[in-house]
Amino acid sequence: MNARPPGLAPVIAILVVGYGAVPLLLGANQYIMSLIVAALVIGCVALSWALLGNLGGMVSFGHSAFFGVGAYVSAIVTLKAGLPVAAGMVLGGAGAVLASLAMLPVLRLRGPYFALAILAYAHIFRIVATEWTSVTGGSGGIGNIPLLPALPPNLSGIGMGGKTGAYLVILTIVLLFALAYRAIRASHYGLALRAMRDSEDATRVVGVNSTLLKGLMLMVSAFMAGVAGAFNAHYLNFLEPDYAFNGVWVTLPIVAAIFGGYRTITGPVIGALVVYLLDQIVFKALIPTGHQLVLGGLLVAMILFSPTGLLPLLPSLRKSASRPGRNDHA
Amino acid sequence: MLELNNLSVRFGGLTAVNNVTLNVGAGDVVGLVGPNGAGKTTLFNAISGLVRTTGGSIRFDRHDVLRTPMYRRARLGIGRTFQVPQPMHELTVRENLVVAQRFGAEKIDTQRIDEILEFTSLAEKAARDASTELSLTELKALEVAKALATSPKLLLLDEVLAGLETTGKRRFMEMLREMHTRFGVGIVMIEHDIEIISALCSRVVVLNFGQLIADGAPDAVFRDPEVMRSYTGAAAAGAGNA
Amino acid sequence: MTDLILQALYSGLLQGGSYALIALGLALVFGTMRVINLAHGELVLLAAYIAYTVESGLGLNPAWAIPIAVVVVSLTSAGVYGIVSRIRKDREINSLILTFGIGVIMTNLILLIWKADVRSTSSSWLQEAFVVGPLYSMRGEAVFFIVSLLLMAGLWWWLSRSWYGRALRAVSSNREAAKLMGIPPARTELVSFIVAGMLAGFAGVALYSYGVIQPAYGGALTVKAFIITVLAGVGSIPGVLLGAVLLGVAEALTVTLASSALQELAGMMLFLLVLFVMPNGLLGASRRRG
Repeated sequence: MNARPPGLAPVIAILVVGYGAVPLLLGANQYIMSLIVAALVIGCVALSWALLGNLGGMVSFGHSAFFGVGAYVSAIVTLKAGLPVAAGMVLGGAGAVLASLAMLPVLRLRGPYFALAILAYAHIFRIVATEWTSVTGGSGGIGNIPLLPALPPNLSGIGMGGKTGAYLVILTIVLLFALAYRAIRASHYGLALRAMRDSEDATRVVGVNSTLLKGLMLMVSAFMAGVAGAFNAHYLNFLEPDYAFNGVWVTLPIVAAIFGGYRTITGPVIGALVVYLLDQIVFKALIPTGHQLVLGGLLVAMILFSPTGLLPLLPSLRKSASRPGRNDHA
Repeated sequence: MLELNNLSVRFGGLTAVNNVTLNVGAGDVVGLVGPNGAGKTTLFNAISGLVRTTGGSIRFDRHDVLRTPMYRRARLGIGRTFQVPQPMHELTVRENLVVAQRFGAEKIDTQRIDEILEFTSLAEKAARDASTELSLTELKALEVAKALATSPKLLLLDEVLAGLETTGKRRFMEMLREMHTRFGVGIVMIEHDIEIISALCSRVVVLNFGQLIADGAPDAVFRDPEVMRSYTGAAAAGAGNA
Repeated sequence: MTDLILQALYSGLLQGGSYALIALGLALVFGTMRVINLAHGELVLLAAYIAYTVESGLGLNPAWAIPIAVVVVSLTSAGVYGIVSRIRKDREINSLILTFGIGVIMTNLILLIWKADVRSTSSSWLQEAFVVGPLYSMRGEAVFFIVSLLLMAGLWWWLSRSWYGRALRAVSSNREAAKLMGIPPARTELVSFIVAGMLAGFAGVALYSYGVIQPAYGGALTVKAFIITVLAGVGSIPGVLLGAVLLGVAEALTVTLASSALQELAGMMLFLLVLFVMPNGLLGASRRRG
């Protein structure tokens, strides 16, 4: 007797809006679409960051490492080995997972140490990407990365190529990842992970291999961020170390996730849309250089006044959407 | 079932457990007593794998578990409660047991969980949040329930009765009496109250300054002059009140 | 070859002095409040840019910037404390994200005010060669190294003799007990932030005097300070100096033997090495196996 997943209506709404309304209404405006695509990429990283924080209990300041590794691996295998883009993106995610394996020894460190150790890794990967010229093209980067395959035009004749096609791809990726996140959280592993956040010993004493679970969450998080990076590489067709491993892939997802409510699944994505669009449309216009200042200010304000995020302050609407589906084995 | 041989645990300059040799069989109900700071909890920590030992050996069920990580020892059948209850926060009571059973017993048996909930008088609170909606008695019951859910062969109870008022204490004692017969677990319990120990345990082991100074039937042990001497050093604690 | 290595060791040593100042500020705050100030590198950078302004705006030797930098950065640091102290729950993690945000604000403010160009001192006095036997350095490096040592000695004296110094140590080992003894934890924490700010002020001017700065450098400085804190273990100034020199030497050797582009990598690798090889020596790392 499984309870019906709560919030079926919001799910349908998301599908209708995402796959229907947005391409139909905004598809023609390339500028807006490009903003939305970028926002969704950030949302994907934000989702992976929140997953690591919520389920893994680890705050990371180095997700740019996974993003960049995913981007480069995908670019290289598609360019040099001729693999199709879809395979490239999956391999990009796998590459990020491998990168995370290198970070496993860091798992046993406490919060701040883990966060900064990951940051150190991000720096290392950036430097490696810059210096390993033979493979990565060095600081000049890689160009001519294979484009995302153009999707066939749909029945009403709306061109699916270009921004709209990319939008649909990233939207699907984000939704798939959100579903996966939800599935993990609703499972027994999810229960154990949530319990581990407070006291690992309390879980280990009843047989939970907490180290393994944390490691798995790191790998899942890395995979998601890696795929986002890979997508981005094929979307832009160009890559360079300072871009792929840029601190913005650390800052924006964190601000987005906290803004939207990092304890929820939809929060980080919605937060990314709001924050990124605000940043690009409003803040950038006001303060062309250094507009990220506002983001920093947002972060500070949020931590002080509402550490679980701003959107969760909106009553009932948020609350019902955030309750995880419970598995009742009756 | 449990064999400790010359077990020692040293922290820096302090030897908390000093050359303890102890055997606990599958049918035993053993009381572990000693003045405060004698090393009782540390001994439990060593057996369950929370702290590293610095000497000696531990065998459980004929496996050498000295290097076995804590979670694996739980799966092998060493269950343990903490003196200060450590429920899994943000989870309901039932979910606490589900996690314990799923990972500790490596199975899902809802009937068994219901049975344990009933046995520990937590059936009514099954859907309540474990960290915010339970009284101290219920928290302590949850500690026991969680450990039972892992289908243990040996249960280490660390001052389960401490801090309970009379009715709670009586109920728990009934529960402990039944536990051995109903769930087939061997028990080692740390308590300060000599009456409780005498009522529940067929065997008592005394620790003082990390060393085992007595091991035998309650009557004999509590009359042992050396045991009495170890307690007069901590006179107030000797009265054994939770 | 040995000459090159000796030179690298020497340069690393001198660099280590300034790194130690940077790291000490971070360590002081962490010791007192268990808070890692991720904006610490930006504080140092701020001081460096003040030195730049003094030199380019007023035409003075950057050393004159020291009093201004120290005051400004100390006040800013106190401001950071004011914000951090408002956190009620989960201080460790929330302060991390909070100071991260403050760091982002400061980096962008610096970018806004001083633009993105790379800067370094043009003072000939500071850049003049200062030779000790076969070893070469810039006068600025040598001077600030001596200053750093003096400051560290002063800090050590202050921590062991003065009332505030001892209060700091009391609060860092047991906040509640310190309160019971009448030591005001809030004021002590504020003092630790201010002293960290003062150290950062010096370090920043030193940095400008013999290195190059740009707005993005703040983060890297914080990471270096953190690496040194980790190398040093908790509670000892000599440990921080040792760790800082180790980092400086590692970087210098990398530049000499490998390539200057890999300089940053040296610190990171050292960091990871320590994490893997000596995990039990680190602050608060798990001491038990489970």
